[in-house]
Amino acid sequence: MRIKLNSIVVDNQDKALRFYTEVLGFVKSKEIPVGEFRWLTVVSPEGPADVELSLEPNANPAAKRYQEELFQQGIPLTAFEVDDIRAEYERLKKHGVVFTMEPTDTGQVTVAIFADTCGNLIQIYQHVK
Amino acid sequence: MLTHDALIRLCRARDRLRETDGRAPIAEIAREAGLSPYHFIRQFAAVFGATPHQYRIEARLEQAKRLLALGNHSVTDVCFEVGFESLGSFSDLFSRRVGVAPSMYRRRWQVPSRAGSLPRALIPGCLLLMCGEAALAPAIFKKH
Repeated sequence: MRIKLNSIVVDNQDKALRFYTEVLGFVKSKEIPVGEFRWLTVVSPEGPADVELSLEPNANPAAKRYQEELFQQGIPLTAFEVDDIRAEYERLKKHGVVFTMEPTDTGQVTVAIFADTCGNLIQIYQHVK
Repeated sequence: MLTHDALIRLCRARDRLRETDGRAPIAEIAREAGLSPYHFIRQFAAVFGATPHQYRIEARLEQAKRLLALGNHSVTDVCFEVGFESLGSFSDLFSRRVGVAPSMYRRRWQVPSRAGSLPRALIPGCLLLMCGEAALAPAIFKKH
């Protein structure tokens, strides 16, 4: 048994694909039409190459409620690891990304939180060496 | 940096933009959020990926899709119900964004369901990696 897939809900798959590729820097992996939506995944060019993130539509009312409740409480939906959190923070801010938490040392890791323009807060973290 | 209070205020503004009956001017919603219209539009777009106006239009189209799918309302009723003021511009916009005209969308989703409830086929089984009802949607399209 392996963990190869993670999924997040987004309010619009086109917008999500733009943000997750053009701003965050991931690469589109799969795009398969499913009814009105698409099975849409991205991977990180920094690897691992076979771990995919699925960008799922929030069209299910349960998904929308879950997403909005977390967002309002300021809780990130998921987290991505980065090598240099300060550099990522500056880079993303130049792209107009809005942070709800600046890079903050929490002991084991330094974390920051931003809005992904698709209805989620996302955390980035760097292990403190 | 967006404080948690500011985040909550933006969420409230988002809720206001989804209202189909009030149709409050953007300037009024900005005021409620404690921002000038300019800063409100800028900040809303940076956080939600669409300007307040675009967000409102999208929300209306989503609501229109739901009502059309239920099949109990005419296209004209749906158009005015969700807050559009002209049937022509509603039909044009809907066709462009959704890919089919409202009347076609309405026919397409005429699947049996309990009165007043959304046909299950319209609720994508996301969170289950889309292996739910949405996967059945193409079959429903073929049947009709």
